[in-house]
Amino acid sequence: MTDFLPQPRGVAGIVRRLAVTVIGIVVGLLFLAPLLWSLTSSLRPGSEVFRFVNPLQWRTFISENFTFDNYVRLADTPMGLAILNSLIVSVVTVVVGLVICALAAFGLSAIKFRGQGIVFSIVILSFLIPFDAIAIPLANLFRDANLQNTFVGLILPGLGNGLAIFLLRQFFLAVPYELVEAGRMDGLGWWGIFYRIYMPLARPAMIGAGLTLFLFQWHAFVWPLLIGSDSAHTLGSIALANFMGRFSVDYGLLFAGAIVLTVIPLIIILSLQRYFIQSVSTTGLK
Amino acid sequence: MSSSSNNLGPALTRRPQAGRSQTSAARARRIAAVAFLAPAVVMLIIVRLLPAGDALFSGLFHYSLVAGQESWVGLQNYVDLFTSGRFWNSVGITLLFSIIINPLQIAIALALAVLFTQRMHGSVLWRSLVILPVAAPGAVSTIIWGVIYRPDGLANAFLGALGIPPQPYVISTGQALMSIIILLSWGGVGYWMMFLIAGINDVPRELHEAASLDGASAWRRFWRITFPLIRRPLAFVLVADTISNFLVFAPVQVLTQGGPQGSTNLLMFDIYERAYKLGDLNTANAEVVILIAITLVIVAVQFRLLRSSE
Repeated sequence: MTDFLPQPRGVAGIVRRLAVTVIGIVVGLLFLAPLLWSLTSSLRPGSEVFRFVNPLQWRTFISENFTFDNYVRLADTPMGLAILNSLIVSVVTVVVGLVICALAAFGLSAIKFRGQGIVFSIVILSFLIPFDAIAIPLANLFRDANLQNTFVGLILPGLGNGLAIFLLRQFFLAVPYELVEAGRMDGLGWWGIFYRIYMPLARPAMIGAGLTLFLFQWHAFVWPLLIGSDSAHTLGSIALANFMGRFSVDYGLLFAGAIVLTVIPLIIILSLQRYFIQSVSTTGLK
Repeated sequence: MSSSSNNLGPALTRRPQAGRSQTSAARARRIAAVAFLAPAVVMLIIVRLLPAGDALFSGLFHYSLVAGQESWVGLQNYVDLFTSGRFWNSVGITLLFSIIINPLQIAIALALAVLFTQRMHGSVLWRSLVILPVAAPGAVSTIIWGVIYRPDGLANAFLGALGIPPQPYVISTGQALMSIIILLSWGGVGYWMMFLIAGINDVPRELHEAASLDGASAWRRFWRITFPLIRRPLAFVLVADTISNFLVFAPVQVLTQGGPQGSTNLLMFDIYERAYKLGDLNTANAEVVILIAITLVIVAVQFRLLRSSE
């Protein structure tokens, strides 16, 4: 917790602190309300979703009789498969993407060679072009290559992530160069230096970069909409949006799907919060 | 580069002239670097630079259904866009949207960053509640708010508790854009707040103590000390937020389809419709080029801002 402002002592300080706390709680609860309402609604029997909404009451946010029925039913809808697809796509992206990005970051920091500047410019340029902006022309290219409705097509754009490379490179640059020289003296090749020296040191940066790769895929919407149209390759976000398009919306299912899609990244973010904030502030201070 | 003389292996045992060992060591390093970099660089070229180039190229052609093939039309697609009311409406809506959402999100993010860096009970917990929605994918916040905005939804219940009559939200020309801005800000503000909190925490405490001893008020200290010192993260947030808001798509596609009456027809959705509903891929690609150009201009401004704040 931070207290960057010197606080007045005594009664004035206590009152001020209480007032600030009250504002903090109100703001926090306002941001929480939509998610809490979704969670409660997902735990209600389908017919009761809108029963306690208006007028506003405590039952709007807290349910007396709750059931996991909606979550159980979710597994039998297209949403069940779609969430599984999202997990596959995100996990493969993190694993393969981390290898590709870490190798590149190493090549851009530990090895000094002519032309390094040019390669780095390609990395920077490619992350200045927002992915969603070029998703439509890329989808045309992928369709020409018959990559629509394949996992390869869904995963490929997430693998080379300019931001992840940038984050890892920043970290690698801080590794003392003497370690590289010592490694060379010990007869290690570049691969050995990468694998034996850099990788063990880079754990925090790898976790930050892994989160970046994961969230890129988990939060994607435009790309899976364009490239994964058949039911076997629909991702969670798209399946959820499809629910909404139906004639009669099953709100219990809708909320259950929304909560699952939010809780999975939430658990990951919360358990890795330290690294997430670290990587966030690295970008901010670049 | 002195490390090359320490290399074990053939270069050392043969001991050729210094100059030649230097170049062969440099060449070896270069080959190693290429091997490490190749997968990522190939990937980035294929999924980022190639499609951008393709958009630029394809935007200069026109596909004729009669002839069944593409023919070169030069800048005609751009001329078509610049003389199209629909395009200018979309640009206008996107600008209006940007002018409202960016200052709004940044002002709230900054205010909350200041709030949650004050001494308070349970600061981390209340702060986490604001960050919570960041975990929700765009489609999820769209869906949740879509239900909140229903006539019998949570939004009208809140207004009802305050004695305000029900509102139409996304189905009204006058409120649809603002409704989208609110749902995006719910998910976005916490994210930008994290950068600003990190910035505020880096401000040396002693500066505040010194100013406080000189009798400066909290308000004055914020503008004189904190604000100038968080210009870098602030500039980053400003530009990154502006770019991400240029690319807003999910709420428009799911909730409004650009309507009612074009009132939420943001550029990304206009491109999507042009490509897939109107089936004019070439003009859609020209519009992609315009979108990328706008993005790069904003990035250029970012570097200006960052440099001037050094």
